[in-house]
Amino acid sequence: MDMRNVENAFKKFNFWQRDHKVLQILKEKGIEIFPSPKAWEKFDFVKIFFEKKPKEGYFIWVKRKVDFPLLTCITISREKISQNLRNLLIVEKGIKVKAKVLCAAEKENLKANHIAKGKIVLKAGAFLEYFHIHKWGKRDAVNPDYEFILEKNAKLIYNYQNLLPPENLLVRTIFHLKENSSANVNFVVSGTDSNIKIQDTLILEGKNSQGILKIRALGKKNSKILGQSMILAKAPSKGHLDCQGLLVDDHSKISLIPILFCENKKAQLTHEASIGKISEEELTYLRMRGLSEKEAIDLICSGFLKT
Amino acid sequence: MEKILLEIKNLKVRAERQEILKGVNLKIKKGEFHVLLGPNGSGKTVLAQTILGNPKYKVRQGKIIFEKKNITKLSPEKRAKLGMALAWQNPPKIKGVKLSQLLDKISKRKIELEELKSLLEKEINVNLSGGEKKLSELLQVLSLNPKFVIFDEIDSGLDIKRIEKVAEIIKKEFIKNKVSVLLITHRGEILNFLKPDFVEVMVDGKIICKSQNFKEVLKTIKKYGYEKCRKCIQKI
Repeated sequence: MDMRNVENAFKKFNFWQRDHKVLQILKEKGIEIFPSPKAWEKFDFVKIFFEKKPKEGYFIWVKRKVDFPLLTCITISREKISQNLRNLLIVEKGIKVKAKVLCAAEKENLKANHIAKGKIVLKAGAFLEYFHIHKWGKRDAVNPDYEFILEKNAKLIYNYQNLLPPENLLVRTIFHLKENSSANVNFVVSGTDSNIKIQDTLILEGKNSQGILKIRALGKKNSKILGQSMILAKAPSKGHLDCQGLLVDDHSKISLIPILFCENKKAQLTHEASIGKISEEELTYLRMRGLSEKEAIDLICSGFLKT
Repeated sequence: MEKILLEIKNLKVRAERQEILKGVNLKIKKGEFHVLLGPNGSGKTVLAQTILGNPKYKVRQGKIIFEKKNITKLSPEKRAKLGMALAWQNPPKIKGVKLSQLLDKISKRKIELEELKSLLEKEINVNLSGGEKKLSELLQVLSLNPKFVIFDEIDSGLDIKRIEKVAEIIKKEFIKNKVSVLLITHRGEILNFLKPDFVEVMVDGKIICKSQNFKEVLKTIKKYGYEKCRKCIQKI
């Protein structure tokens, strides 16, 4: 990543932390943004969400409707650095907001650690469209662990994508859905010489809550991907799991484990899962259009990740 | 005299341990329009796929020569780069990839046909009607600006109005521009709107009949079936 490009692109970020230092906070009307240690001191209610005073990370409290997407960015720039973030995002009642969250390495071989524990709270009737994008170096270890709480009538669209995978990635996410809330969750992971674990759990706690959990896993160059997705229904609700994997080379492995757990007889849970390889017919078709084998594979893979 | 663009010499092809093409010979000159007729399972599609280099079909004997170059062992993408194109009979779905994305990568010319625009934002061959698939194939082949194109059953599954439209595009965009065309058809309805220079008939993996009088050949097939064509073997 070119540093000048980084600086220019990142000027628009509402919160930008590089390594352990907060470089930028762009305040907007109706939004409180602080580093999470400061938020701990400033707001008593924050203490409910963190176990102890955090050392780094962000606190964002959306209190009014905003028309622009909220942008946050956490980057690493130094070798062997170890981030341990605690993040909190609260969207107030009835507020609609989009958030784009980028976590990235500024260089390729930093061998850094990025640990992020976060809570995202959508109060009653709030709507959040959340894009979580990862771009890591080949030797990094990354472990985001997020909890989403959707109060009554809240709505979430969550899209996670790792554009550049680290060496080790463990993504743990849990979604709590209260009455009438809904979540549409999409994990798009692609491994290149990577060890990836996705563990996501959607808990349908409230009456008429609805959730869809999707995983698209692409295994390239000796990757190991494990996707464990669970939907647990505790109330009359609806849930669907959709796990699909595509293996591109002979040395990668994908395991997809969909789990449906039902504790309410009025709940309806379904799932579909498959792992396949690239079809020779599709490959030949695109090669006859003039694409090289590699170009054809790349196009098929990019399409698969969009389905 | 026009130069020979494509020549196929004694082509024998196997797929899944079965010999499908049993010695095919074919010559197509620059700008010529050929039609290949034949019953189901006669090997027409295998011939088309082999000409374009589908690795599923193994050439056991014979040669494919394009512009005097032996291309029998060339990859499909290199054949495409030489100016060869195939509109597939049953094209595969490419999920998540819009037709416009593929065209951005392969197009050698801009196509402005109003009736094809609606396809651009759709995924390739996903949830398309039979007619839309054929139009999508036509659009891709057009955008490659080929010297030689094979249409494999481009008329199958289309209603008569669509067949007329497809025939009109083939005539305007390829035949009038002196692109060599091999049109494979099972029922021959498209020939109500197109006049080929030659018609060839394939039965049991061999081209057994060649004629300039396509109307007579079609009439014979409609009346007596493809078996009657075996008698035309002397015309090759």
